[in-house]
Amino acid sequence: MTARYRVAPWLEGAGIYSLVVLLVLAGAVSSPGFLRPESLLGTVQNVSLLGIAATGVAFVTYSGHYADLSVPAVMALSGIVCVSSLRWGLVPAILLGVAAGVAVGIVNGLVIGRLRANPIIWTLVTAAAGSGLIRWAFSNSQAYPSTDTAAGKAFVVLFGEKVAGVPLTVLVLAAMIAAGQFLLVKTKFGARLKLTGSSYEVARMTGVDTRGIVLAVFVLSAFAASVGGILLASLNRLGAEYIGKGYDFTSVTAVVLGGVTLAGGRGNMLGVLGGVLAIGLIETVLTLNGVSVDWQEVVKGVLFIVVVGTSAYLARRQGRDDA
Amino acid sequence: MIGISKRFPGTVAVDGVDFSVGTGEVHALLGENGAGKSTLVKVLAGGFADYGGEIRIDGKRADIRTPSAAKTHGIAMIHQELSLSPTQSVAENMLAGRLPVRAGVFVDRKAMNRQTAFLLARVGMDLDPATPVGRLSQHEAQLVEIARALGSEPRILIMDEPTSALTRDDVARLFGIIRKLKEEGLAVIYISHHLFEVFEIADRASVLRDGRLAGVREVAASSPEGLVRMMVGRDLTFACRATGPEGGGSPGRSERLAATGLGRLGFFSDVSFRLAPGEIVGLCGLAGSGRTELARSLCGIDPLGQGTVTLEGKPVKIRSLADALSHGLAYLTEDRKQQGLALRLTLRENVLSALIPGMGPGPIYAANSRIDVFSGLVEGLRITPPDPRQVTRNLSGGNQQKALLAKWLATKPKVLILDEPTRGVDVGAKALIHESILRLAGEGAAILLISSDLPELIQLSNRFLVMRKGRLIGELQREGTTEEGLLLAANGVTAGAR
Repeated sequence: MTARYRVAPWLEGAGIYSLVVLLVLAGAVSSPGFLRPESLLGTVQNVSLLGIAATGVAFVTYSGHYADLSVPAVMALSGIVCVSSLRWGLVPAILLGVAAGVAVGIVNGLVIGRLRANPIIWTLVTAAAGSGLIRWAFSNSQAYPSTDTAAGKAFVVLFGEKVAGVPLTVLVLAAMIAAGQFLLVKTKFGARLKLTGSSYEVARMTGVDTRGIVLAVFVLSAFAASVGGILLASLNRLGAEYIGKGYDFTSVTAVVLGGVTLAGGRGNMLGVLGGVLAIGLIETVLTLNGVSVDWQEVVKGVLFIVVVGTSAYLARRQGRDDA
Repeated sequence: MIGISKRFPGTVAVDGVDFSVGTGEVHALLGENGAGKSTLVKVLAGGFADYGGEIRIDGKRADIRTPSAAKTHGIAMIHQELSLSPTQSVAENMLAGRLPVRAGVFVDRKAMNRQTAFLLARVGMDLDPATPVGRLSQHEAQLVEIARALGSEPRILIMDEPTSALTRDDVARLFGIIRKLKEEGLAVIYISHHLFEVFEIADRASVLRDGRLAGVREVAASSPEGLVRMMVGRDLTFACRATGPEGGGSPGRSERLAATGLGRLGFFSDVSFRLAPGEIVGLCGLAGSGRTELARSLCGIDPLGQGTVTLEGKPVKIRSLADALSHGLAYLTEDRKQQGLALRLTLRENVLSALIPGMGPGPIYAANSRIDVFSGLVEGLRITPPDPRQVTRNLSGGNQQKALLAKWLATKPKVLILDEPTRGVDVGAKALIHESILRLAGEGAAILLISSDLPELIQLSNRFLVMRKGRLIGELQREGTTEEGLLLAANGVTAGAR
């Protein structure tokens, strides 16, 4: 490749930000109030939970395992476990919620890492099993936080909490993106993950513990989904079997839109943030222009098909070149 | 083919090449790796929609831009890399796209097996047509591929390195078939790195260099040295090992690695040998003798059933490749593209990939920390271009192979197992790789060399272990060992004293 194709490693996948800028301009044209800081922060907050889930899924995609379709089930499970555990206090409840979600990730990671199960099929299986577990363990498949207790009161306002004027969820998203970027670029785990994502066999024949890598990415994905699921339960003031619906495909769209290709080993978290912001901005701009929520779903579906389809096509072409 | 050109992003792979092959002619296509041979024949086989120049068949202009267009013009190609579907049977692979049918829809199994058996018999194979291709050994699969190409009754047959996975008997049989088809008027384009094959089978030879035609010669009127000169554009100085081990390697001195009674059920058993520092030991054996399996088990990639391994006198347990590496034992795989290099990563990332555990403090990764190691290796092996951020796929095959060697040299191995270190590599790269191997031995590493390239094995090794059907059947000393001697030993005819 010639020099003009090259960008600094941390800028890789920055093309998404040109789309973000275009969408911001479109928003400014659609509504005069759009550029106000609180309105922009609101847009970010709308997609903060998507972003939190997407940072986890990005690890799975980056490792060459396409996607984690158990994300909605993990979000629902962690949310409902957290809500049901509030009687022991807010912090223990959050920890239990995360633990429940991460347990699903461990199962995913062990099965896919050791048995080389197809990640799409297998995470679909755990998604179904997770939903079944919730329906079996919780009456009505729902749990409401009791606002009589201090923990319950604290839980229902968690989503709307602000620190120095910035929504808590936005801060969590920023922390996850920063931590994810650090893991990918600055750690040996990230270097091994990149080799594994670029070529699983080569990584194995270089002495990388590829099973451990696969376990780690599915645990990271489940951890991120759990955090998102607990915040989503706080927003809904309810833990329920259905609350993570749609986060699977939308997070893959954001991840791939952000430059983490389905072929693996490419992209980074700053790109993923761009992909998440682009999806949030598209929603906002469509709303400002009076497009109904139903039609927004159609637009997101089409976006998924275009973005993921193109990436899959390119991955296949690269696969052929590698052969 | 007149004035054929094909560009890739950043390079011109083939630049205005004229090439012709006559009826009943075998025309060899020679050149170093990256000279454009494979690209040129891929144009003819319909692999590209966009190229410059013109193709004429029987004097008429033929517009070949898809594989199916090539097929209608009677062009068949045997690929360097196997293109069979591993889960389907031999018969299904052979007759793909033209399965015999009964009553319009049903596949006629009997006719299918009959036709397959007939085609297999032409290449001297006696296989159950229902065997899944995935169960075949590499050389059997290669023969099936050849039989399949012949089955389409081509008028022009392209063979890209057809013998790289074949044993000598298979090659002799293949040449017999080619001679017969030649008499029937088949035109053959033959790509090979093995010059002796070219002299045995080809009528004319075209030499490509850097994407351009360097010349066309009648084979009968040229010499191997002349053709090599045309390929590389300079005279070569081959690395040659002085007699006896260098670096003071005398027998009876301290041993580096000792393996006793190694075995893995179904692959090899009762294998014992020793390696001394500074010694290069050639492991020779036919395809399927268990050489690669032995190497993989020794390095912890596959489980080792029985036996003990000691390194510098201390017994070691190697359960994984990471264990092996931490003991200074490295393995260069024979399969560069699938297992050796991540082609989408940069040259630097690949060369330093085995050093990740030591790059930076604790869990922190410092990407540029070993750049000095990288620069030294790239310079020593003359990898071109030496740009650390070059994507590895864009390197020629020879330079990729050098990068793979560099990746393992970077670990400063005490014991290095090399499995086909120069497969499919041009003479220039080969000389540099040999030079590096000798230098490593000179620095005191013990090297176990697996190679089907007998001249290479003889040129580099201090002594030879002969493996056959999963057992070590003999040991030959360097003095007085010839290619013929090694081949006979590998075939179990005369085992050396042991």
